[in-house]
Amino acid sequence: MKNSNKKTIKERTYSWLDERFNLSGLIEFAKKKSVPKYRETIWYYFGGVALLLFIVQVITGILLLMYYQGTENSAYESVKFISTKVSFGWLIRSVHSWSANLMILSAFIHMFSVYFLKAFRKPRELTWYTGFGLLVMAMAFGFSGYLLPWNELAFFATKVGTDIAGQLPLIGKPILELLRGGEDVTGATLSRFFGFHVAVFPGIFTILLALHLIFIQRQGIAEPEDWKDLPDNEKKYIPFFPNFTMRELLIWLIVINVLAILAVFFPWELGTKADPFASAPVGIKPEWYFMFMFQSLKFLPAEILFLTGEFVGIAAFGIAGILWFLVPFWDRRTPKGKRNTIINYIGIFAVIFIIVLTILGFILD
Amino acid sequence: MQKLLSNILTVLLLSTFSSLLFAQTETQDQCITCHKELDDELLLPAKKYVTDVHYSKHIPCSGCHGGDSKSDDMDIAMSKENGFIGVPDRSVRYEVCIKCHANKEAMKIYGSNLPVNQFENLKNSVHFQPTYNNVGPIADCVTCHSVHDIKQVDNPKSTVYPTKIVSLCGSCHSNANFMKNYNPALPVDQVVKYKTSIHGKMNLKGDPNVAECASCHGSHDIFAVKDSRSHVYKTNIPEVCSRCHSDSKLMSKYNLPSDQYSSYVKSVHGVALLEKGDLSSPSCNDCHGNHGAIPPGVESISKVCGNCHVLNMELFEQSPHKKAFDENDFPECETCHDNHDVVHPTDAMVGIQESSVCMNCHSNDDKGYIVAKNIKVLLDSLTTEDTETKKILDEATQKGMDVSDAEFSLKDVRQILIQSRTSIHAFNMNKFKEAITPGFKIIGKSKKAGVDAIDDYYFRREGLSIATLIVTILVIGLYFKIRKMEKKKNQKT
Repeated sequence: MKNSNKKTIKERTYSWLDERFNLSGLIEFAKKKSVPKYRETIWYYFGGVALLLFIVQVITGILLLMYYQGTENSAYESVKFISTKVSFGWLIRSVHSWSANLMILSAFIHMFSVYFLKAFRKPRELTWYTGFGLLVMAMAFGFSGYLLPWNELAFFATKVGTDIAGQLPLIGKPILELLRGGEDVTGATLSRFFGFHVAVFPGIFTILLALHLIFIQRQGIAEPEDWKDLPDNEKKYIPFFPNFTMRELLIWLIVINVLAILAVFFPWELGTKADPFASAPVGIKPEWYFMFMFQSLKFLPAEILFLTGEFVGIAAFGIAGILWFLVPFWDRRTPKGKRNTIINYIGIFAVIFIIVLTILGFILD
Repeated sequence: MQKLLSNILTVLLLSTFSSLLFAQTETQDQCITCHKELDDELLLPAKKYVTDVHYSKHIPCSGCHGGDSKSDDMDIAMSKENGFIGVPDRSVRYEVCIKCHANKEAMKIYGSNLPVNQFENLKNSVHFQPTYNNVGPIADCVTCHSVHDIKQVDNPKSTVYPTKIVSLCGSCHSNANFMKNYNPALPVDQVVKYKTSIHGKMNLKGDPNVAECASCHGSHDIFAVKDSRSHVYKTNIPEVCSRCHSDSKLMSKYNLPSDQYSSYVKSVHGVALLEKGDLSSPSCNDCHGNHGAIPPGVESISKVCGNCHVLNMELFEQSPHKKAFDENDFPECETCHDNHDVVHPTDAMVGIQESSVCMNCHSNDDKGYIVAKNIKVLLDSLTTEDTETKKILDEATQKGMDVSDAEFSLKDVRQILIQSRTSIHAFNMNKFKEAITPGFKIIGKSKKAGVDAIDDYYFRREGLSIATLIVTILVIGLYFKIRKMEKKKNQKT
């Protein structure tokens, strides 16, 4: 008797919603969605992992905002207050920091998997462009968020990071002043970074993410490059709902577990408060995802021909980034169904380069 | 061979140099002969010079004034051709003295073993600075040693003989009008004070062995007191005093001990001043006075110590001990802390155990015994609690928990302990309790913060374990659900 009542309520609720929002249409759409099932399917989950971690970032970020104060005199103290006095503040802050790093890692893995599986090819060029934009935004989130606790390491890392931007000819100085809100890293820089981190970047990120997800939903999940010649009966699919979604959920739960363990066992340190008049501590290093660029610039000689080494390095990374971004544009072979092994070699080189330079950055002084 | 030639040459040079001076005194010094016939100011130098130590060394007038002392012809004797300079100019008259006194060989000729660095010392001293009207150095050789009737320092007639030097220095330093030209802030009562000191009294009685101005300040190398080169710069004073006061032979004449310096250097004050360079730590003169040096009287010791230890003095003077000590002629602070060998006080000094100084006077059944016992119990209790709480906070910190607020509060306990130890000097249980009680309150809060932090540490891990377990169960459940679902689907297919 009780069960029949419950069903009735469920049914009645469904039909109430269906009548207004056409849920049946959505369910039909979801039922038709599928994900190719083959040996590389594992890589398809990383976009979802990045999305989960972004959601975690939004939630924990909003919670942190309730206590954080983005001024030179109170930023460090407010973060300390969050970590020591606010109930579970330490956990929220630690999760926010770890989740940011894991999100960027997931985004990198997602990008390289899309690259190697050549999922950027026509008709998914715009999905690639928005995805690349999301990665750049994620790194910008990381760079701006790193300064917010206003501790010694963050202060000098920001100084070094913005100094590099200032090396660019003509536009270097205006960029540096735009970032710093003046010539030096001061309270104005902190306010500016805080504004970027909680208002400007989330706005841009949300638009890019919405576009990225809409494109995926409209175009479906990309199939492997070599499936075009396979007969339909040899192509295997997993229904997006519920199978792929449940698998994704399973991975999300594992990620949440990993995140919780990292946050509890390796809580993010606060360090000492930034002192603009103190000398820079030894071994200032950027966050790991900037390390390969930082280390490359360190390896370059002071002057190359008539240009400064740093300028050459920044220009090289700029050009490489643009070429990477435009890969759907200049890769003419893949859309025609031909194998483009150069793409793979470039990708392998990029992965090795990033891994080696990052490791060197951490082990060398 | 070369050395031999060099020695011969030196001997020849010296004999020539000495013959020039001796030759003149072998015959009658004609300057004196003539000047004795003159009146007043021209007669006086000649009359005085025959008593001068330089005259006894056969140095003629021309030794300083130039000219030819052998000639009885005034025009020749006082001719510029013969180097006559007349009365040396005030600004450079010291040059006449240093011709010999800065020349080791010249001094050797006169059989003198006087040091030849006096001018080197004087040149750097405060006295050799130019006068305000720029007529030369403030004080030069003549200013102190006079002229024409100079005597050896150990000659009681010398202007710088120990019993005379005080009035010599006082001629400038007690003259307010003169001193304000150079240092208006410098007191001019040193001589007045000196006369009230044991040193001054003995000196006035003619004792040349007691300290006078030069004994402490030096003679030629005198610097401002704040100049670290000065003999009386704070860190140099103990050594200066010890020159006499550690001389057991000298001190035995005055029936005084000679171990003060050796005690002082080991004391908390001596270590602070001499080893740590803490200029706020007292030197000999801070307790005994400098120009008016005298041992403090039994009843005034707390006042002397109280110049620095103000609170201790105030508390002691209100305490029941003040009256008792005065009645029994106990030297106040010194009774418990000693004088020159004051060691760093420890909590072991109070209480009823053997090491306690309280037990020197109090016995089992008196009121002081009970107060001493209770003070020690509270003091030990707070100290132990402080150590334990620190351990708890350290453990919390090691576990990665932030207890900086509690650690910061705990620093106040150290301050309260200092205040409580100071309040012991009131020898009043209520006052002591008033001082020490806030410490226990802080300890309570800090300890709780530490324990809470450690509990929180375990709570986090327990919470994490439960959360991880739940999520893991969900993962496993989901895994089997997916497997079951896909198996069913495969069967259908």
